[in-house]
Amino acid sequence: MAERARAKNVLLHAALVAACIVSVYPMLRMIAVSLRPGDRLLSTDLSLIPAGASLAAYGRVLAETNFLLWLWNSLVITTVTSFIGVSLAATAGYAFSRFRFPGSKLGLTLLLGTQMIPAGMLLLPLFLMIMRLGLVNTYLGMIVAYSVTSLPFSIWILKGYYDTIPRSLEEAALVDGTTRFGAFYRIVLPLSTPALSIAFLFNFTQAWNEYLVARVVLCDASKYTWTLGLFELQGQFLTQWGMFAAGSFLVTIPVLLLFLYSSKWLVSGLTLGGVKG
Amino acid sequence: MASVTLSRITKVYHEHPVLDDISLEVAEGEFMILVGPSGCGKSTLLRMVAGLEEITDGEIRIGGQVVNHLPPRDREIAMVVQDYALYPHMTVAENMSFGLRLRRLPKDEIARRVDEAAGILQIQSLLGRTPRQLSGGQRQRVAIGRAIVRKPKVFLFDEPLSNLDAKLREEMRVEIAKLHQSLGATILYVTHDQVEAMTLGSRLAVMNGGLIQQAGAPAEVFSRPANHFVAGFIGSPTMNFIPGAAAGGGFQSPDLSFKLDGRNSVSGPVVLGVRPEGISVDKAAGEGWSEPVPAVIEVVELLGYKRNLYLKAGDQRLLAVADASFGGKPGDTVSMRFQLDGIHLFDKETKKRL
Ligand SMILES: Nc1ncnc2c1ncn2[C@@H]1O[C@H](COP(=O)(O)OP(=O)(O)O)[C@@H](O)[C@H]1O
Ligand SMILES: [Mg+2]
Repeated sequence: MAERARAKNVLLHAALVAACIVSVYPMLRMIAVSLRPGDRLLSTDLSLIPAGASLAAYGRVLAETNFLLWLWNSLVITTVTSFIGVSLAATAGYAFSRFRFPGSKLGLTLLLGTQMIPAGMLLLPLFLMIMRLGLVNTYLGMIVAYSVTSLPFSIWILKGYYDTIPRSLEEAALVDGTTRFGAFYRIVLPLSTPALSIAFLFNFTQAWNEYLVARVVLCDASKYTWTLGLFELQGQFLTQWGMFAAGSFLVTIPVLLLFLYSSKWLVSGLTLGGVKG
Repeated sequence: MASVTLSRITKVYHEHPVLDDISLEVAEGEFMILVGPSGCGKSTLLRMVAGLEEITDGEIRIGGQVVNHLPPRDREIAMVVQDYALYPHMTVAENMSFGLRLRRLPKDEIARRVDEAAGILQIQSLLGRTPRQLSGGQRQRVAIGRAIVRKPKVFLFDEPLSNLDAKLREEMRVEIAKLHQSLGATILYVTHDQVEAMTLGSRLAVMNGGLIQQAGAPAEVFSRPANHFVAGFIGSPTMNFIPGAAAGGGFQSPDLSFKLDGRNSVSGPVVLGVRPEGISVDKAAGEGWSEPVPAVIEVVELLGYKRNLYLKAGDQRLLAVADASFGGKPGDTVSMRFQLDGIHLFDKETKKRL
């Protein structure tokens, strides 16, 4: 018995290590490429820190391009998107979790249905909507497009989490003196931080890495997000691989910091002990 | 403190009636028990008083004011429920002061009230903990504390002790009784527990099938149950029932018959009810007891200070209670006698007391 459990354990860990390598490898390659000196960009050298490593590509991407502006644009759009997306999903998810209203079941199913349609197919209708709203080439247009496309997933996550919070807590709050909204705001929301963090991270990474919608909505180079900006580096005859890799590495930093920061909110189990059992 | 008046309350869930024409008056400072089997609508009724459930029809008044359309926060009630419902992200002190903070009471007043309630409930040492760090009994104390600090007009309890083990339940039952004496508050208390129902309240209402079957002082409900259901529900061990007929001042069933005293007026098909304490197997003939009826002992249970005797007279099974010193054994034939003023007769059709 113990032998078999051990063999299983070893296999499991081997599989996990393999998966880690597969997911970390491209990242390491990117770092390696960003550190190569200018004359060896296309070499097939596999070492992580290449011979003659230099930070020159970082210097050039910061100095010779509008990289910082693109980063700023992305940051503004993504942050506002995430806050709006999570606020909408938090309230909509609550309604779906707590109230029975005509179309509540159908609504949830439709939301799920939207997730089955490839993003590319939504591009044209989305663009037409944004055009009619007069939001082409604006931050607001981007924010509207991004926050609504992440909504279905966020609503499902939050609705599912709210479902696990006993209603008796809100009823206790109502009796104690809150309004219906007060019970949501003071009791349900603070208990939902794990789900809220996940929804926020999802919104953030979706918007941060998005390219297609940005491509069609933004035309003014000064409003470019980093995804558009970096692709500019793909020259007609020569792609600046070093700068491209350096930029790609730099844009992961905000996401990385966000994940590190939010990990403390992801810890669940706060609802334990409030009610029996 | 305030009175609570329920007038002709009806509740229908999706065309499924749950409560039917309930009227009940709870006086100021009264401890009223609502008791009944699971699913009879006790919680629904209590939640309607709290404002957590719509009232389909009828009127609820608290302190004379109609509250039908008031949200819970404007009803000045406090509620303690079975699963405690403590806020998990707040400490004990924060849980208790939540309602007071919402009402923006001065800080020192809040601190004073929390201290006072914590003192009464002996939970001062727990004030800094979160609910997760408490035992079931402690959680229930905190839930009660959260109700007390609010100084509500009415306390609502929904089976507050049913998640506790037997010993704790007994302890908390006594505490709640003391609490009522010291606060003099109006209390509506829902339970399905016999002992709580008999001991806690100044009055009790027995519910079944969406109706109040009987309301009155516990002793009165016990000694003069209004119908077959109440007779069977109140009292432990349960009352014996013998279907038969009353005629000419006597009772007859296929298995046994004896004379009733002073009930010559009753005749027709009846169900006779007699509590186990009202059947004796070692009593000599005497005033107030029926003539002997033969029965066979099936099982004897020793409960320490007394014995339960499972008897059979013909095909009729009966439970009687005897002293611990009673020496009869299974298989013995005994003469049982019925205590005449402990006999209840119910109409066979209407199930009402005759
Ligand atoms: N939200 C609800 N929807 C439909 N039926 C309900 C609802 N709540 C309670 N009921 C029904 O109402 C009846 C009474 O329930 P309840 O008041 O909880 O009984 P008790 O507290 O006496 O056990 C039960 O038959 C129950 O199925
Ligand atoms: Mg109940």
